[in-house]
Order: sequence, then structure tokens, then C-alpha cells
Amino acid sequence: MVNPSSSGPRPTGAIRRLVTVAVSFACIALGTACSPSPDKTGTGNGAKVRRIAVIPKGTTHEFWKSIHAGALAAGRELGVEVLWQGPIKEDDRNAQIDVVESFLAKKVDGIVIAPLDDKALARPLREASEAGIPVVIIDSDVAWDGRKSFIATDNYKGGALCADALATKLGGKGKVAMLRYIEGSASTEKRERGFLEGMANNHPDIKIVSSNQRGGATTASAVSASETLLGRFGDLQGVFCPNESVTFGMLRALQDSGKAGSIVLVGFDASPKLVEGLAKREIEALAIQDPVKMGELGVRRIVDVLEGRDVPARIDTGVTLVTADSMKEPANARLLDPDLSILDK
Amino acid sequence: MTSGSILRALRPCIGLAIVLTVFALHPQAEGFLSVFNFKIVANQTVIVGLAAIGATFVIVSGGIDLSVGSIIALSSVVCALVLRAEYGVTLAMVSAIIAGCVCGLVNGLMITMLRIAPFVATLGMLGIARGAAKWISGEQKVDVPPAALESGGLQAWMSNRPDPEWLWFSPGVWTTILLALIAAYVLRRSVFGIHVTAIGSNEKTARLCGIRIERTKIAIYSIAGACAGLAGFMLCARLTVGNPTAALGKELDVIAAVVIGGASLAGGQGGVLGSMLGALMMAFLASGCKMTGSATYVQEILIGTIIVVAVSVDVLQRRRA
Repeated sequence: MVNPSSSGPRPTGAIRRLVTVAVSFACIALGTACSPSPDKTGTGNGAKVRRIAVIPKGTTHEFWKSIHAGALAAGRELGVEVLWQGPIKEDDRNAQIDVVESFLAKKVDGIVIAPLDDKALARPLREASEAGIPVVIIDSDVAWDGRKSFIATDNYKGGALCADALATKLGGKGKVAMLRYIEGSASTEKRERGFLEGMANNHPDIKIVSSNQRGGATTASAVSASETLLGRFGDLQGVFCPNESVTFGMLRALQDSGKAGSIVLVGFDASPKLVEGLAKREIEALAIQDPVKMGELGVRRIVDVLEGRDVPARIDTGVTLVTADSMKEPANARLLDPDLSILDK
Repeated sequence: MTSGSILRALRPCIGLAIVLTVFALHPQAEGFLSVFNFKIVANQTVIVGLAAIGATFVIVSGGIDLSVGSIIALSSVVCALVLRAEYGVTLAMVSAIIAGCVCGLVNGLMITMLRIAPFVATLGMLGIARGAAKWISGEQKVDVPPAALESGGLQAWMSNRPDPEWLWFSPGVWTTILLALIAAYVLRRSVFGIHVTAIGSNEKTARLCGIRIERTKIAIYSIAGACAGLAGFMLCARLTVGNPTAALGKELDVIAAVVIGGASLAGGQGGVLGSMLGALMMAFLASGCKMTGSATYVQEILIGTIIVVAVSVDVLQRRRA
């Protein structure tokens, strides 16, 4: 060894540590020998409970918690076990593939997934399907036709609805901007396209001054992108944001610059902070999806597949445009503030 | 080898053994010790493992490389772009390695010619390579054309079901194992390896002994870059997408693998095989956490704790020695 300062520890210490090593290896051997036993006991007592993996794009957003609640409720009702596991880093395609592969090794009965990428998740999902595990896609589509069903919001229609709401509020003319989410997220790209085409087709006097900026994956990046956008276009009259984190980032930036309420903000999805903004009329309208229903239907349809029933290839879970005036209606109130108490049990 | 260095080499084995034992005994983690899961985890280790081979040289020489994650992203984009231009998988792999190697070379030149501390130089490259990746990809993920994926193409490199079947592991795993063995030999036995260790132990003494520090350092960072470049190719093969925002923060996983593997951030100590065990241990830990249904934060806290424990054991052993 070149390093002169490193020499061996005293022999007694060395022996003690070697014993530790030996014990550890003994533990491994023991572990290997014992591992099949839980399987035997598991299948021993009566019918086996089906295990359905539900894989979100992330775990911290409000939206995914609602999907979790819906999936758990359906799982409880149908008597299946719902295994909830998100990628360790949101926006990390590789991490989500890791999750799918872990469930493959765990041999779950079915997978319900919101893919982070329409291409990258195709291979692992095909492998799951080839291994006999049916796959139902929720929220965002994937470029693979082996999925049993695709359950999601009609995002294009949602984007077009937002364009109508923004244009109506502005009286059919004015300068607006759209702050995109991240690259390669199919659902938000459809909303963005729906918004832009809705504006171009139905509201020709609205000028879109910026539509190429992105808020990024986190709230922090969305805030700074919003600040930059607002700084660059001082005469902006309206903004559209295609998801929760970007809408929140824009709301924060508008509040900080004192423009909240005077620039018309139309956003997508709900969270307590966004609902608060809606109530204070800092947000003109929110396009609300039904994530609880999405999670619930995901689990229901995969159970249908497992029990041999036909399922539709495409299920639309709907978009509702909610404003400060309509937010108190019971149907809308449930969408804005979904009951997540099932997650605490 | 002294008994101290044997123990240091055994440390990552102990860590791995503990992780395997805990999850093997966990009732919720059925399938954890299956052959299939081992294949999957080996595949999941490839990207960090390949990058950790290069990073071991860097860390043993007393340096640090923070640009690994960005270089992986850049070369995955380069790989996808070359495939989109229909130049074939082999050329895509070579291009990815060259892209990584060039970044590493620039790191080496900044450190030796401009005398910038490795931490700062590679921090600069972290930004430069990430920016370059976004630039050449037009700030979008680059989809690999379907023709390049089919039959024995790009996807075969990281497939969980290799073709032919007797290969058992994917070609990516075999590449990592082979490179790790070669690198371990080079670091322990070759003149270059001894120079690397000498620089990390005591740079001034090494210089007095007539070792050409600058040249050696440039070579070290170039190797590290090339390894990250190859990791980028493997990432592209796994995702079938060249993604400029991929592998964010991967450099920290790589450094953690090397440190858990017994290397000292003070330089002069560490081995490639230890780093591989470190990488494997983190992959098994991640896999086990997913199988037991632990929340993602549990995983992050565990890995953080293990890094601290691994290093403090190292410090304790030295103090006693």
C-alpha cells in the first residue's frame, strides 16, 4: 500500500470483526433458507387476496393523493390489496421503470400506472404483460397497444375549455401567455395543444404572446419561470397554466408582483392553495379533473380484466370548469376538496 | 495486503449482506431473493456501476467528479441523436463514450492547466454538460426511432431477457462486470494505478518521486468521463429515449457507491470492486424498499444514513489503526 499511514488494526479487533462477517453470512444463508416459507403460509389460508400495483408519476402532488384515495376505496370495496408506490424522484423515467420492475419481481396480479413517458415505459409494461400481468393506464397514455384500458381526462377538451373561459373573461381580445409544464408529458401537452388550437379557432382576436416557456417539474422552478414570464411581458392580460404545480407557481408570482386578480389566471387541477386563490378571485377558473374517479376506475377495471369481463379501451373521466361563483355547488365542492381521509387509516 | 485493507475490502460485503438479510426476512418482500429480481437489480445497477468505475479512479486520486449525472444525460442524448440519424447502434455507443470522454478531458484540463479545484471544475461541467444536453436536444427528449430498437438493436443491451438466453444477464451487466475487473486490475497492479493511488495519498511526495501529475490527472478525468458516457448509452438503451433532464443528481449516488465501497474522500484508498458492491447494495436497498411498499422518503433517509455510517466506520478504523 502506498499510503504510509494505513496499517492494520490490532489482531483482536480483526478477529472480532471477522466473527461479525461470519455471522452476517450465516444470516444470509438463514434468510435464503427461510424466505419461501411466507409464501406457503400466505396461500395456505383460504383464497388468495389479489394484489394490484398502482403506480403514480409522483407522490407529493395533491392530485396523486386523490388517485391513491380512489384506488384504496375501490380496493377495499372489491376486496383486493392496493400496493401504492411512486418513483423516488418525480420526473425520473428511470426511477418509474425501477418501480414497475420491482412489482414484476413481486408478481403482482395487475398494474395500474400513470406513465411518466409515453415511450420509455413501453418496454417494461410490455414485459409485464408478457409475464401475464395485465396493465391499465391512467392519466397519461403510453405508446403501446397492449394496455387493457386507458382511463383519463380528455385533456385536449380540457385545454379548449380553458381557452373559452379565458377569452370570455377578456371579452374576446387581449394578450395572453401559456406557461407549459415539462417536455414529454403526454397529458399536459394535449391540454396545451387544446388551449392553443381552441384560441386560434374560436377566439382570433386573442394574441398569444408566449407559449414556448416551461415551468419545469417543481413548484420552485415554476415560480421562477412565472416571474421571468411576467417580467418579460408587462402588458399581459391573461395566463393559462396546464397543471397544478405550474398554476401554483404562477399564482405565487402574481401575488408577489401585486398582479393577482388583475391578470386573468386560468389553471388546471386543484390543491388547497389553488382553491383559496379561486375563492379570493386571484384565479379566474380552474379546470378540475376527477382523480379520485380515475384511481377508483383504474382498480375496478383491472379487477374486471382479471375476472374475465370486457373493459372499454378508452374511458373519459371528465373535466369541469369551476369559478369562484360555482365552487360552492356540492358536485364541484367534492372535486375541489376530495375526501382523502381513507389515506390516514 | 494488510489485515486492515482486507477488512476495508470486506466492509461493503458486510453492508450488502445486511441489506440482503433484512429484506429476505421481511414478510412483505416476497420475490426479493428470486433469481428474476437479482437479474433486475443487476440491470438497475449498471448505470451507477459504470459511472462508479471511473469515479473510483477520481476519488482514489483525491479528486471528486460532480459532473457525472450531467455527462450521462448528455451522452444519452448524443446516443439518441446518432441513432435518429441512422448511423447504427455501434456508432451511437462510440459517440456516447467520446462525448463523455471529451467532457472528462475538459475537466482534467481545467484542473491541471487552470489549477481549479476538482470540486469547482466539475461543478462547472455539471452545468455545462447539462446545458449542452438541452441545447443539442432542442430542450426535448429525443425518441430513438423504432428501427434502431428492433431485433438485437439498442434495447437488447439492457433487456431483462437477453438474447441468447444462456447469457442470463443483459449485455450491459456483462460489460459492467468485465470493465470493473479490468479497472480493478489496472488500479491495483498497473503503473498507472499505482500513480493514481500515490497522487491521492500525497501529491507532493508523488511529484518528488517523478510521477507526472498533470498527465495522470487528465487521464483519470478522461476515463471517468468515458465511463459516464458509456453509462449514458446504457441509460438510452434502457429508456429508448435520450433525455436531457435524466440522471439529475446521479453523481451523488455514484459518489455514495464509491464511498460505501471503502474509498476515502481524502484520497489514496479505495477499490473498483468495492465500489461495485456499494452500487449493488444501494440498488438492492432501493428494490427492497419498493417491494416492502415503504414510502420513497424512507429509501432516501436510509441511503443517507448508510453513507454516514459507512464513512464513520472508516474513520473509526483509521483512528484505531
